[in-house]
Amino acid sequence: MIVRSLRRLVKINLIMSMEYRGDLVLFMLNNVAIPVVSLLVWLAVADSGVSLPLDRTQLVTYYLLLSIVSMFTFSWLAELLADDIRLGSLSPWLLRPAPILLSYLANNLSEKILKLVALLPMLVVVSLCFPGDFRLPLAPLNWLLFLLALPQAAALAFLIDVIIAALAFWVDDVRGLSRVRVLVATFLSGQVVPLALFPASLTGFLRLQPFRYTLSYPLEVLTGQLSPSDLRLGFALQIGYLALGWLIYRWLWRRGLRSYAAVGA
Amino acid sequence: MPAIQVTNLVKTYRYHQKDPGLSGSLRGLFHRQTLERRAVDDVSFSVEDPGEVVGFLGPNGAGKTTTLKVLCGLLYPTAGSVSVLGHAPSRRAPEYLRQIALVMGQKNMLWWDVPTLESLLLQKDMYGLSDSSFRETLAELVEMLEVNHLLRVQVRKLSLGERMKMELLAALIHRPRILFLDEPTIGLDVVSQERVRDFLLRLNATHGTTILLTSHYMADIEALCPRVLVVDQGRIGYDGSLAALIAQAAPEKRISVTYAQPFSAERFGLDFPLTASKVNLLDDSRRVEVVVSREEVATVAERLLRLGQVVDLSVEEAPIEEIIRRIFRAGREEALA
Repeated sequence: MIVRSLRRLVKINLIMSMEYRGDLVLFMLNNVAIPVVSLLVWLAVADSGVSLPLDRTQLVTYYLLLSIVSMFTFSWLAELLADDIRLGSLSPWLLRPAPILLSYLANNLSEKILKLVALLPMLVVVSLCFPGDFRLPLAPLNWLLFLLALPQAAALAFLIDVIIAALAFWVDDVRGLSRVRVLVATFLSGQVVPLALFPASLTGFLRLQPFRYTLSYPLEVLTGQLSPSDLRLGFALQIGYLALGWLIYRWLWRRGLRSYAAVGA
Repeated sequence: MPAIQVTNLVKTYRYHQKDPGLSGSLRGLFHRQTLERRAVDDVSFSVEDPGEVVGFLGPNGAGKTTTLKVLCGLLYPTAGSVSVLGHAPSRRAPEYLRQIALVMGQKNMLWWDVPTLESLLLQKDMYGLSDSSFRETLAELVEMLEVNHLLRVQVRKLSLGERMKMELLAALIHRPRILFLDEPTIGLDVVSQERVRDFLLRLNATHGTTILLTSHYMADIEALCPRVLVVDQGRIGYDGSLAALIAQAAPEKRISVTYAQPFSAERFGLDFPLTASKVNLLDDSRRVEVVVSREEVATVAERLLRLGQVVDLSVEEAPIEEIIRRIFRAGREEALA
């Protein structure tokens, strides 16, 4: 029943997104533009003779794979959900005998599907612009572990969004906070600068903080940068953050729904 | 066990006070005044029989909608206890949610950008309805609401009246035992209002659906609700039949007549010996307002028409707010005595 509802909700979300095609195109360009621009900047740095811990091939591979992974893990959910809480649009979901967040999960999934369909061809074109520099990792074990780390990264990003949105039960304006989160995540997840390029003194912190596990970590797994012990620690931390996020989400939402005001009408 | 049992229900909202303007907002950043408002204040009532239609009548902000939202589990009660069909609504147990529905006149439940049918199919999945029961209910509701031609139209292309019908259709597709309606006819034209009322009456007659509705339209309550709860400032001031309510609180009507020429109070007094407190001369003595008992309306109106050349005439029920105020004033005086 829940799976069927979810499928139908994803379909409805896709239909609605198609209604607003202009938004969709802008949004997609935005999604490709950031990694490509970052890549070009780093390539210019590398060409100017500065020695970087990553070579040209690694940079190209990193950023192209990054744009795919970030498609799966980033979302616009926090502000959407916060608005629904603040404006009372959460109410219909509280009245139905289904998980409250089902529709938001569907929204999140449809977002990923749309991006995948529209962005993959663009990325193929971009990768053709760097002949010889893009090297798709081929090790089957890495792919297997990647396919485990990727959905966990997406789930962690989803949980962070849901937790931030839950603050709308008490605070009127969650937007500011959500933007701060995006800004922090942009740097700490490795979206703009690969974590490997940060100063060595920060390495310990960067490896332990949660945002790494929403984006950089699956990528590190796929490109085979990690030693077996690092891999184990990484997975343990990713699962640990997921469990922690889940507990915080449950706690916040249970309390939040008590102060939900069901504004409107 | 009663279908609905509400005992000493209290619901308090917390909100922040903010002064207008930019400076007010800035001050609000550092120092915020949190205030509390009791939207529902010690309300108790019960609905014994399934199939009853009960109306909540009261001015804006009286606490009608808040009570309704507590009953369907959207809001947690601040104090008191609520039991509906043996469930505590705020726990939102799936077995409970499956038996109720809420329709709000000012809030959409349907997706704006897709046809209603899509929303209905989603309801089917969410409530786990079988193909056959879905088809059967859909056919029946579509026939009752006369909306077959609208099922495949995007919701945002529908008129307000059509949309309300679709909201009702979507809310009822899982055959709830209790239907909560919040201002179901608000903003609708008279014809659409009547269609909605007729539909609700039929629904109640054929399926025995218990209906609780809020409205500040007397006509809704008159047509639908044998039993009325009058709510004001979070309290219930009257619980009983509408006819008894009107007889008790508004035994009078107001006749207002406008004349072409002003006329003197003396002449008025001579021809029309009524107590001065019930007669008002307005607009430079051109307009007369008289409050009379229901039985007297015809005779008094006839006499007023004979007093001069009449430009306009109206006979009005005391407005609902007025009736409610009277009920509460009476209640308070009783309490004081």
